[in-house]
Amino acid sequence: MPPELSVVLAVVTAPFAVAGVTPLLIRSLGEKTGYAGAAVAAFCFALLGTQYGSEGTVELAWIPSLEVALRFYVDGWALLFALLASGIGALVFLYSPAYMHGESGLARYYAALLAFMGSIIGIALAADLIAIFLFWELTSLCSFVLIGFHTDDASSQYAARMAMLVTVGGGLFVLVGFLLLAFVAGDVVGPGTSAFDLAAMLNRPDEMQTALREAGLFVPVLGLLAVGAATKSAQVPLHFWLPNAMAAPTPVSAFLHSATMVKVGVYFVGRIRPLFASLEWVMLFATLGLATMTICALLAVAATDIKELLAYSTASHLGLMIAGFGFTSIVGAETGVFHLFNHALFKAALFLIAGIIAHETGTRRLDELGGLRHDLPVTAFLTAIVALSMGGIPPFSGFYSKELLFEATVEASHHHDLGPLDWLYPVVAVFGSIFTVLYSLRFLALFFGRQPDSLDHVHRPPVILLVSPAVLAALTAVVSIDPELAVRAIVQAGIDATAVDPGTHEMHVGLPTSYSPAVGMSAVAIGSGVLAYPFYDSIHRSIRSIPRTVPPIGANWWYDAIIERLTDDGAWLASRVHNGLLRTYATWTLTATCVLALAGFVATDAAIPTALAGLDVPIPAALVLSLAVVAGLAVVTADSHVAGILTLSILGFMIAIFYILASAPDLALTQLVVETLVLVIFLLVVEEIPEYYEVSLGRIARDAALSVLVGATAFITVLLTTDARPVGESAIARYYTEHAVPEGGGQNIVNVILVDFRSFDTLGELVVIAVAAISILTLIVMRARGDETRSDESSVAIEDAEGGSANEPRESHETRGESE
Amino acid sequence: MTTVIMRTTARIVVPIVLIVAISLLIEGHNLPGGGFIAGVLTSTAFVIVYIAFGLDFLERGVLGRDVDPGKTPSRDRVVVAYRRLFTVGLAIAVGSGLVPLALDHPFLSQSYIVLEGVPLYHHLEIASALAFDLGVYCVVIGGLLTIISVVGAE
Repeated sequence: MPPELSVVLAVVTAPFAVAGVTPLLIRSLGEKTGYAGAAVAAFCFALLGTQYGSEGTVELAWIPSLEVALRFYVDGWALLFALLASGIGALVFLYSPAYMHGESGLARYYAALLAFMGSIIGIALAADLIAIFLFWELTSLCSFVLIGFHTDDASSQYAARMAMLVTVGGGLFVLVGFLLLAFVAGDVVGPGTSAFDLAAMLNRPDEMQTALREAGLFVPVLGLLAVGAATKSAQVPLHFWLPNAMAAPTPVSAFLHSATMVKVGVYFVGRIRPLFASLEWVMLFATLGLATMTICALLAVAATDIKELLAYSTASHLGLMIAGFGFTSIVGAETGVFHLFNHALFKAALFLIAGIIAHETGTRRLDELGGLRHDLPVTAFLTAIVALSMGGIPPFSGFYSKELLFEATVEASHHHDLGPLDWLYPVVAVFGSIFTVLYSLRFLALFFGRQPDSLDHVHRPPVILLVSPAVLAALTAVVSIDPELAVRAIVQAGIDATAVDPGTHEMHVGLPTSYSPAVGMSAVAIGSGVLAYPFYDSIHRSIRSIPRTVPPIGANWWYDAIIERLTDDGAWLASRVHNGLLRTYATWTLTATCVLALAGFVATDAAIPTALAGLDVPIPAALVLSLAVVAGLAVVTADSHVAGILTLSILGFMIAIFYILASAPDLALTQLVVETLVLVIFLLVVEEIPEYYEVSLGRIARDAALSVLVGATAFITVLLTTDARPVGESAIARYYTEHAVPEGGGQNIVNVILVDFRSFDTLGELVVIAVAAISILTLIVMRARGDETRSDESSVAIEDAEGGSANEPRESHETRGESE
Repeated sequence: MTTVIMRTTARIVVPIVLIVAISLLIEGHNLPGGGFIAGVLTSTAFVIVYIAFGLDFLERGVLGRDVDPGKTPSRDRVVVAYRRLFTVGLAIAVGSGLVPLALDHPFLSQSYIVLEGVPLYHHLEIASALAFDLGVYCVVIGGLLTIISVVGAE
């Protein structure tokens, strides 16, 4: 069944449209806007539901002449991800009003959250590489706004910037990867299909892989896309932004940093898996995923804050999914898809529960919390389901998908020759899982044991806060009891889309009835975890002591070092290039222009004409030009500014006369008028310049060198361009002369070109003039108000302020220039 | 420069300059000229007024308004008018481009009609490009005069 274009378009655009009108909604609904958001998300969810079971590409022609189209690809995997995003989105919106009660900046919050949801659905459904990239970066931008929601908090700003730098930076790697991919795909998908059409590439995975290998781009493209996926999905060593991103409000963490945004990388890895499945793929993603899973599980045990624990645990589980997709067997695909599904349910619930705990107790520190089951009994019950699922304890849902990972690690050697990795993969997977069990039990232990004395007034959470985690926990429970139900409903369709050879395998999961290596591994992991739990505190302390003794082992240390270095270098560079002195700007701009122009000539092998054939200058022109040269020399020797400017204008007027002689009356007119105007402006400005100032020898040398460089560049450019001029009348010149009167209705070809043939160019120039005027106005207005109370008046300046209110002493313009 | 000679010259020269500018604008399609040159020339006429009579002359002397001595020049009503002028100019230019779209031609297509038997002229040609040129004229005057009056006031 092919998907319907109108439905797909509505799903992608609805969140953005509502995000646009959020300020109006806030005005009418106030804090209840969250429910409107929930309605939008539910609407998207329902619309996506109507497409259940459909598969295929739909497109909307956008710029047909350039073959640019909005292309969407719907299949089981895309639907699974989009349904998760909209479904969990609806629950998060439902949860938000109660959690964000009394906060300011709600318009920004809801608008960003909605736009974010739209972007995620966009990534899931887009079939065009460029569209995927755009949505990809949009999620990073929305995430930046949401992490930095508390704009007055330095740590929140730091975290937002970090997330932005890492994920947007990763997006740029993806962009380069996409461009290379499209470069290769052009030949494979054939003419008539856009080279950016991912769906077309996925239809020919083997040909794509062969073409990539022939071009020698297989490993580079794989690497670039892997970097992008790793930044987005917080894989080691780029995982450090995720725990910092916990500065965001908890609903944001639940939505972005557990269920959706961080899964974009995983989703994308699953999406391109059929294209790239190979030995390199296994080595890269299985290793990356298992390393992340283990390292982040260790770090989660070292966490002191409940959200930090959940953040590291998220990174660890993302590692699990990446590792699953890393194995090319069908079990690998099952691991990735099923765990993505399970994790979204239980981790979003856990974050929302963490939000309830923080909201009701006022603290998020692990060592200050305990025994909460008395005050929060319902929450405790929900936590038991989802935390045990996170730990992979049977019969909870996480167990099934983790069991699949173990099976995939054991099976890996059947498909590829992996050398020592053959036994290393299973060992690392089990080792990492032990810590998963540990921190899951630790989270659950918040509700048990003795209640610290500091926690004497824990409120019951409002029912509305409990609804969302309860729904998620209920779903987790359903999957735990009957995993086959989830498999049949949606997971199998996702597996078919991500499997290397789709349609050959039917997935079955359930509690094990007989011994297999995977069962043994599960038993070892869970057994060791439970046995080691009494020693949790000492394990926690010993892991924490490592980064303190060796700071460079932490990725965050590297981030700080690099950012600090870049900031310092940037400041140094700014003081050189951007120091507020006009002459510095002029030096840099002119030098750069000349060097770039000359480099361009060199790069294109432009040869300077040696023989200046046909150099016959009429005597009047020669006279006028030599007068201009004399004027030019006189400018340098003029003893006052005014004399210099007046002499300079002689040069300008001579050029105007030269234009007349060269029968270009329009140019001459323009030159004359502009020259006059410039002269006047110069005379106005010259009064502000000091009569005489000391100039060091070095600066004279610099200015002289610069002048020579500019002069030489202009000279060479003129030589080259005049030499390259075609002999006789070119086709375009003839076209203009022939068509000016019949088509433009004007005798003046210059004007007809300006306002008719090339009027789009002229329009652009008009915008430039307008922008220049606005910039100068803004600069001067801002300078005038520079030292005054800036914040008070900024609104006044923007609002035109006729009959303004500022009281600044005005200069006496009437007396200006009387000394002349 | 606010000498008697300057003022007297300005009184005679400025109207001539303005008329020349307008004729350049209108004739630009067939003879040398056009919106840009006309705009710059008109700005020059204003600059002559500024130099001869001072920046406040336009508001106080020509428009007969009271000038509040305490305010910054960038908020002068004249400057506001200049800003409005280039906005209007841009609107005219873009609008003249949008009209052909409504008539199912590409953006910014131009055409012309020839009118015969018009009194005085007998033969008059009206090009739609004149509207665009008028936009150019307004943007150039508005932009340049905004810059000059604001920078000049500094």
